[in-house]
Amino acid sequence: MSLALIAALPFLGALLPGLMLRAGRNACATATGAVTLLALLGLLSHLPAVLRGEVVQARFEWLPMLGLNANFFLDGLGFMFAGLILGIGLLIIIYARFYLYKSDPMDQFYTYLLLFQGAMVGIVLSDNILLLLIFWELTSLSSFLLIGYWKHLPEGRQGARMALTVTGMGGLALIGGMLILGNIAGSYDLTVILENREAIQQSDLYVPALLLILLGAFTKSAQFPFHFWLPHAMAAPTPVSAYLHSATMVKAGLFLMARLWPVLSGTDLWFYLVAGAGLITMTLGAVIALFKDDLKGLLAFSTVSHLGLITMLLGMGTEIAAVVAVFHIINHATFKAALFMTAGIVDHEAKTRDIKRLGGLRFLMPVTFVIGTIAAFSMAGLPPFNGFLSKEMMLHEAAHTSTLFMVMATIAATFSVAYSLRFVFHVFFGPKRDDYPAKPHDPGFGMWAAPALLVVLVVLIGLFPKTMVGSLVATVSKAVTQTDELPYYSLALWHGVNAALIMSIIAVATGAVLLLLHKGLDRAWIAAPRPEAKEIFDALIGAITRFFSWFTDLLHDGAMSRYLAIFTAACVVIVAGAFFSADYLQGTRPMLPITNASIIGFVLIMVPTIALAFLHRNRYLSLVLMGVVGLILSVGFAYLSAPDLALTQLSVEVVTVILLLLALYFLPKETPKESSPARRTRDAVIGAGAGLGIGALMYALLRREPDNIGWYFLENSYTGGGGNNVVNVILVDFRGFDTFGEIIVLGIAGISIFAMVAALMRSAGGKRLREMAKDQVKIGDRHPLMMVVATRAVLPIAIVVGAFIFLRGHSEPGGGFIAGLVVAVAVLMQYMASGLEWAQARQRVAYHGMIAVGILTAAATGIASWFFGYPFLKSTFGYVTIPPLSKFELASAMAFDVGVFLTVLGAVMLALAELSRMGVAADPDQPVNTDPMDIVTDGGAIRSATKDS
Amino acid sequence: MILDYVIAALLVIAGFFGLVGSFGLLKLPDQMTRLHAPTKATTLGVGGVLIASMVYFFGVAGTLSFHELMITLFLFLAAPITAFFIARVQLRNHVAERDLPNPAREGTRWAGHLGQDSSSD
Repeated sequence: MSLALIAALPFLGALLPGLMLRAGRNACATATGAVTLLALLGLLSHLPAVLRGEVVQARFEWLPMLGLNANFFLDGLGFMFAGLILGIGLLIIIYARFYLYKSDPMDQFYTYLLLFQGAMVGIVLSDNILLLLIFWELTSLSSFLLIGYWKHLPEGRQGARMALTVTGMGGLALIGGMLILGNIAGSYDLTVILENREAIQQSDLYVPALLLILLGAFTKSAQFPFHFWLPHAMAAPTPVSAYLHSATMVKAGLFLMARLWPVLSGTDLWFYLVAGAGLITMTLGAVIALFKDDLKGLLAFSTVSHLGLITMLLGMGTEIAAVVAVFHIINHATFKAALFMTAGIVDHEAKTRDIKRLGGLRFLMPVTFVIGTIAAFSMAGLPPFNGFLSKEMMLHEAAHTSTLFMVMATIAATFSVAYSLRFVFHVFFGPKRDDYPAKPHDPGFGMWAAPALLVVLVVLIGLFPKTMVGSLVATVSKAVTQTDELPYYSLALWHGVNAALIMSIIAVATGAVLLLLHKGLDRAWIAAPRPEAKEIFDALIGAITRFFSWFTDLLHDGAMSRYLAIFTAACVVIVAGAFFSADYLQGTRPMLPITNASIIGFVLIMVPTIALAFLHRNRYLSLVLMGVVGLILSVGFAYLSAPDLALTQLSVEVVTVILLLLALYFLPKETPKESSPARRTRDAVIGAGAGLGIGALMYALLRREPDNIGWYFLENSYTGGGGNNVVNVILVDFRGFDTFGEIIVLGIAGISIFAMVAALMRSAGGKRLREMAKDQVKIGDRHPLMMVVATRAVLPIAIVVGAFIFLRGHSEPGGGFIAGLVVAVAVLMQYMASGLEWAQARQRVAYHGMIAVGILTAAATGIASWFFGYPFLKSTFGYVTIPPLSKFELASAMAFDVGVFLTVLGAVMLALAELSRMGVAADPDQPVNTDPMDIVTDGGAIRSATKDS
Repeated sequence: MILDYVIAALLVIAGFFGLVGSFGLLKLPDQMTRLHAPTKATTLGVGGVLIASMVYFFGVAGTLSFHELMITLFLFLAAPITAFFIARVQLRNHVAERDLPNPAREGTRWAGHLGQDSSSD
């Protein structure tokens, strides 16, 4: 199976749970499990190749200009991690089926889980580091959803937020580090980067790259001082904790360090940072874990400790330590997942995870007891389980590094023994109690099957390490170290009496003593002052939030005039700075003679513009002046041979004026004077500066010979797009994709207005609007006969004009956009003449639907070209003759234009209808008319056509 | 030759009424009387130009042009309705209720139909 497909399968599968839930929870879980199983089988199909030491690849170009390609590769390391992610993922899916309560939405859980799984598989299979970063961020996001799955619990939400903040921040740092790394190596492909050890380590940028990458890895893997988020993420449902914290999320940081081990490790800085952080984390986590009463809290800190252990091994920088790290990753995943599931079972059955409230469960839950004990003994590093093997090897490495490492590792091992034994003895041993919140008993097979399978692995790996994982560890280690020959090591239970064994014995003995003294120690621990990570984190985040709230409020005080002033002034200053720091070259085009028409046009456009600056407080008057400017502008377009623009401008102008009129209905007629004369002078200076600047820019541009791609459109408009109207061909063909985006935006705008009006009418703002509308002067009869008759007469004419403009659009001025506006204006006039109720009653097609059909039509036109093997939106054209019409051209772009037409019509009408609906709602006293006009004849008698609503 | 004179005369008439209309808009004392000025300008002023244009195309260029008829149609639709609305607003906002002419009462004939008591309006 292609690697890309393996990574994509969970994402595709994420669509299934929601669909399958209808068929029942078993079907839902089965579908999810099938997806994961399929991906796992696909992965396993590469096992022989991976064991032979081959590197499987799958490469797709995505954005080659950016160096971002969907390149995947699979070697031993990727295989091990992908195997853990998918294998344990499968077990978690089975376990979660029985763990989740009836009230939990199972489809959401499985969808999040599959998204997360896909992101994790993506990380470990990515060859391209940019692709890896994308998956990395996806894990942060999807783990946020998983950790916060129980949305009703504040701890869940806070834990999810904290995890996202910490890992997301690390992700940002990682982006910087990876980009530096890619730049040094000259490629964003891992396979290339891994071969450039010398260049990277000698580069000046090695230190910043290393720091940033480690920041990413440490936050993800919960290394000191970023370890605090992991215990808080325990508020998640147990399957999530088991998955995220045994095999996946936190291992992503380790994966990254292992992946980049060949190029980054071996320097002093790497050793001190990574091994140091690992050592501290390992010891600190182990100590805290002993004093956690919450079962999952204990496991969380134990996870922190074990992650520290692996980090420390990777930090040592020797090949043999890397082998041990790899081995311990496998071991930790098996026993820790089993332990989390055990804790979940206890929590599920006894309804508490508080160790102090538990005890004596070995009688009540024998199966769980056996599973939990084996896994916990493995975690403690007791023989003959797999945890013992890797812990011995770790102690061996620590003993050979330095005395400090030896002492600290022994302390960590001691506490590790102590908390593991506490997990067993304080939960399962001791007298049977009668005050459990619920009567515990062993769960059904479905729930203990997954952890049972894992402890079988724990035992088998412990007894027969060479047979079980010998070749895998060797292959993975070769992939981590990028060498063909590994130093000698032996996976075996008995290595004779050596330093490691003595340290182990000391650890077990002292650990047991610690457990016996636990009561006293616990009291001392609780009494001792210690920093509470959550409070520090909250205080820090609070301070940051307050600072930026203050900063944002400083800039954004809600006054539009301030934003505009800052924005405009900044533009003027920057552009003026650029202008005066360079030489000005006078343009070469000759000046045109000044004609009478242009003088008149100039005066007509200048007078209202200047008047607007002085009269703008009267809102209706300023609307009239704006209308004048718009009309003269259209005339100007027509004069300068841009009939398309003129038509568009004209129709847009009409629609805009009507829209603004409807909006002005809700506003006071006069704008009050709010700013001081000094401020107005300032604004006037800024405005004049910007206006004159734009004028000067226009002058400078128009004096130059145009050097743009306009000639290309002119030359290829007919041959390539089949139209003589270059503007229309650009819109529907050359830049069709832009237009497609624009009509989508237009549709969104229309629907947003719909949504906002609906929300506004229910809110307090709606009440204020209604108050304001009451003060408006009413005209009396609202639907006069003359107006009604005239608009009815104009409607068919306008529609014919619209059709005409639409059809000729490809070769002569016109097109779907203008046609849409023309028809919209014609329909709009019916609304104005006969009122909203009357018009709505006669409108059979919902405008939402019209927008949707429009966008889908445009999309379908674009997609249709795929079937002919052309890129999206490639158009074709031909000529047809329908008698009695003359021969005319039919281009596929016309179907696209239909989409534009429908979207424009729908969006404009939706916006205007909603605004008038708001007007009707604002004035509930007004009668609602269902007849076309205010005066109708009814059997010869005149009666009022309006009736009370 | 005669055609030229006719076209010129029509244009001059149009220009004159356009001027009169604009002047009236400035000079006339109140809104209701002022309303008359632009209607003159549109009907006679613009009408003159349109007829001149038709005559020119028919007599000089030798083609029939219907654009002018369309413009006339729309002008005749737009002008009275606009005037009607302006007059209504004026009546509504600036004339007291009692100064308005009586609405049609029950039994009286108004606009060709039997009236009804205005209290229900």
